[in-house]
Amino acid sequence: MIILNVIRVYAGYFFLIIGSLFLFLGPLGILRFPDVYNRLQAGTKSTTLGAISALFGIGLLEPGWLGKIVILILFILLTNPVSSHAIGRSAYRSKVPLCGKSVVDKCEEEHIYKEAK
Amino acid sequence: MIDYILIPLVLVMFASAISVIFIKDLIVAVIVTAVVDLITVVLFFFLQAPDVAITQASIVVGLTTFIFVVAIMRTTRKEEE
Amino acid sequence: MRHIFALIVVGTLGLGLFYTLSHIPFGKGLSEVSKYYVENAIDKNDPHAGATNIVTDIVVLYRGFDTLGEVTVLFLAATGLSVFFFGLKKKEYTCEPSLIVKRGTGIIFPFILLLGVYIFVHGHLTPGGGFPGGVIIATGVLLIYLCCRDYKAPHSLFKVIEGSMGTLFVIVGLIGLIVGGSFLFNFLGAGKTGELVSAGIIPILYIVIGLKVGAELSGLVKDTMEDV
Repeated sequence: MIILNVIRVYAGYFFLIIGSLFLFLGPLGILRFPDVYNRLQAGTKSTTLGAISALFGIGLLEPGWLGKIVILILFILLTNPVSSHAIGRSAYRSKVPLCGKSVVDKCEEEHIYKEAK
Repeated sequence: MIDYILIPLVLVMFASAISVIFIKDLIVAVIVTAVVDLITVVLFFFLQAPDVAITQASIVVGLTTFIFVVAIMRTTRKEEE
Repeated sequence: MRHIFALIVVGTLGLGLFYTLSHIPFGKGLSEVSKYYVENAIDKNDPHAGATNIVTDIVVLYRGFDTLGEVTVLFLAATGLSVFFFGLKKKEYTCEPSLIVKRGTGIIFPFILLLGVYIFVHGHLTPGGGFPGGVIIATGVLLIYLCCRDYKAPHSLFKVIEGSMGTLFVIVGLIGLIVGGSFLFNFLGAGKTGELVSAGIIPILYIVIGLKVGAELSGLVKDTMEDV
């Protein structure tokens, strides 16, 4: 039983470190990436994963909060991708250009947003 | 300890509040104002006023920004020289 | 030139505020009214102050009349904003919102309403209260407007809720005036601090304020998002 507790605590620290690593990489990507779409990747995907694993680590460290934390994780999983999708779509619709090095534009190829271009 | 963590936040708040004057794009100016208010939320929380923080977060950051954005959408976006 | 002028104005205001605030003795002894609040609300000498938070006691019970004034000010502000937006045409949307946004809004909207109602029903136990709860409800209505272009909010329902809740606030205050001799007297007693049904009229007033603010600000969102 003690061993299980030790494993639980160390797993909690592990998830916390993973989460803070991803939360650190998100702003770094926003600084380093060239255009809106890449920055959106860095800014939302890494923060989604970072927040989820940090919350899960906290839940492992304090098992009493696990129920609330599962609800929080579901909320983040629901809202964060939807909002990033909305931001990216509206940026494409308002004709924000891709960066010069990009090689493919699937939306233009398949004429999904033909009237937008 | 927490005071030293708050000092960079307050510096960011000062910088955003001053840079609002010099921004030509009004939507960007509104977003920067929202950043200032968001930092105020954190400050209120650390001053142990969670109810004020909640009210500030919902009313000032949410609703005021929305009203500004709608007003700018219906008029002009760029500031005239 | 204008920037320098604006900086001078802001700097003068900031210096004035700093000078004024540095002369207020924060944290050095209590004034008369704070002594009254501390003795009655914190030490629970007053049998009518039953909230877990002294701020809630002050805002709703001792300064309830001010809260009525605040709600009235909010109503005036919403009306003024609607007048301001009257006749300004909004821009035409070029496209429909995407399926993902519509589906996501459909899933998240009931939970936003639930959160708003939770915040103002638990106003006497947790931080929050009527104003943030109402604003959260209005944010849900705004989300519906963002995902459905041709949605029409029920404006008459908002008006009915707003008017009846304002009347109810005054009626609760007048009952206190008749029973206890002062406006917004807590005629129900404090009850057991920390339970959901406790603190007398504080939960009633917070529900009233929450519904009124929610209806008001939803009407404001409707006025700003639709062409009049």
